Amino acid sequence: MGDHMKGLIIKDIMCLKKQLMIFTFVIIGVLVVSVMYVLSARFGNIASVGQEMLNMKENHLTEIDVKNLGSMALIMFMLLPIVTVCDMVNVFAADGKAGFFRIAGSFPVSLKKRVLARYMTIYALFGIGMAVDIVIAFVLSLITDMIKFTDFLGIIISAASLMSIYSACSILFCLLLGYGKEMYAQLLSIVSIIIGVLLANFGSVRKAIEKMMEADGEGDISGLWKILDFIKHKSYIMLIAAVIVSVASYVLSYMVAERKRGVI
Amino acid sequence: MSDTTNVIELKNVIELKNVTKDYGDFKLDNVSFAVPEGSVCGFIGQNGAGKTTTINLILDVIKKDAGEISLFGKIVDKDSAPLREDIGVVFDEMGFHEFMTAKDINIMMKNIYKNWDSDEFFAYLKKFSLPAKKKCGTFSRGMRMKLQIAVALSHHAKLLVMDEPTSGLDPIVRNEMIGIFREFVLEEDHTILLSSHITGDLEKIADEVVFIDGGRIVLAGNKDEILEKHGILKCKKDDVEKVSKSLVVSMETSSFGAEVMVNDRQAAAKLYPEMVLEPAQLEQIMIYYVNAGKKL
Repeated sequence: MGDHMKGLIIKDIMCLKKQLMIFTFVIIGVLVVSVMYVLSARFGNIASVGQEMLNMKENHLTEIDVKNLGSMALIMFMLLPIVTVCDMVNVFAADGKAGFFRIAGSFPVSLKKRVLARYMTIYALFGIGMAVDIVIAFVLSLITDMIKFTDFLGIIISAASLMSIYSACSILFCLLLGYGKEMYAQLLSIVSIIIGVLLANFGSVRKAIEKMMEADGEGDISGLWKILDFIKHKSYIMLIAAVIVSVASYVLSYMVAERKRGVI
Repeated sequence: MSDTTNVIELKNVIELKNVTKDYGDFKLDNVSFAVPEGSVCGFIGQNGAGKTTTINLILDVIKKDAGEISLFGKIVDKDSAPLREDIGVVFDEMGFHEFMTAKDINIMMKNIYKNWDSDEFFAYLKKFSLPAKKKCGTFSRGMRMKLQIAVALSHHAKLLVMDEPTSGLDPIVRNEMIGIFREFVLEEDHTILLSSHITGDLEKIADEVVFIDGGRIVLAGNKDEILEKHGILKCKKDDVEKVSKSLVVSMETSSFGAEVMVNDRQAAAKLYPEMVLEPAQLEQIMIYYVNAGKKL
């Protein structure tokens, strides 16, 4: 990594200091709550509720359904550290408020590297988030059979990939819209991801909706388990998507930054 | 004995040739000037004249539409970022995040500039009585400016580019800062481009002056020569017409008479010995040229 870029990454991390403090609390919280949850699912109240759900025959729930439902909460816990570790929008907002872009423009750092530094910050922090998540997952996998360690890894990679896609989109939109419009950049990123996912899965989404209509309100959760299965076992697809989106976002961001000098 | 004279050729540290930047509502039009090595160049003009735009173009913060900019003899393009290793920059606004302390800035800067000198930075902080552990958001304007100067001087820059560094500061701090700039140019390869609309400061320190108005360079050259050439001719209103139009920059009339800014004091003194001819100050020159522009 170029020396010059390191300085900018350090600055970005300084901007995220508050967020990183929250991250510390989130890690501790997630570790404590998830361990309690897993223990309860094995020996306590959550285990009893699961058993009751299985006993109620009108639910048509299988043991796998109950196990999957239980694991959904764990997935949420695993998402939290990655979600809280980095939001580049805050860095943009802080830079805009300070007028840092003029100083940054006077640094001996090319525009290409200045844009790249933003992406490096994201991946450095997501790396930290993933490392923490892997440790938590390892601890949890020792005390539960609800989710295997390899499945945990799939979930972590999927979550990090999704957040990378979001962050890569938000960098591009922040540059396109300019300072002071970070909220719109966030919104546009979320909308773009939703549209992207819907378009990529147009056929299966249509089928799922049709199935729901046919089910006439009785509800079919098999579609949900397909998503869960995808997150656990096909995270490499998410990872590939994240790499593609990040590269595309970087190229486009550089082009925008070059055209609108003084925005980064 | 050889009668050859050693001619020292002055290198230009900054050179702009026909630089244009069009914002639609404002245009920097064919700007050309040069700043020789070892000099202090005062870049003057009223607010909105194009000083900041020119500085942003020199630093490649914004993209030019046309023309050529050279720094240290090398053309500024997208690969010229390393040239900025030798440039210290001070803007009118601090630009550092308010939560940052001088210590944080040191950590960031030592990972940005190859020649960053932490010891020198902390020595400057001490010299300027700036706290190292206090958030810079709590600093006064004077302290913020001094912090920027400390940063600009701590990576062994050869060129200082400053955009209105003294505006909004009290005379004591301004004087202190001018002292710092003087110290900087003691090294013969050190150069300063100092933009300001406070011409008094520039009169004290500048060797060269570039005067911009409405996005065009109105006047550029050696400060002493400019001051030497210009003068204010005081006469009766009726005598104004006697003054050759080629000498007149612009004039101001009042019930007591007329004051005419002339661009050739020597010629005016010879041609109109009956009139009072006073030397002009930079501020007056700036005002008269701005007024001339308005009348066009």
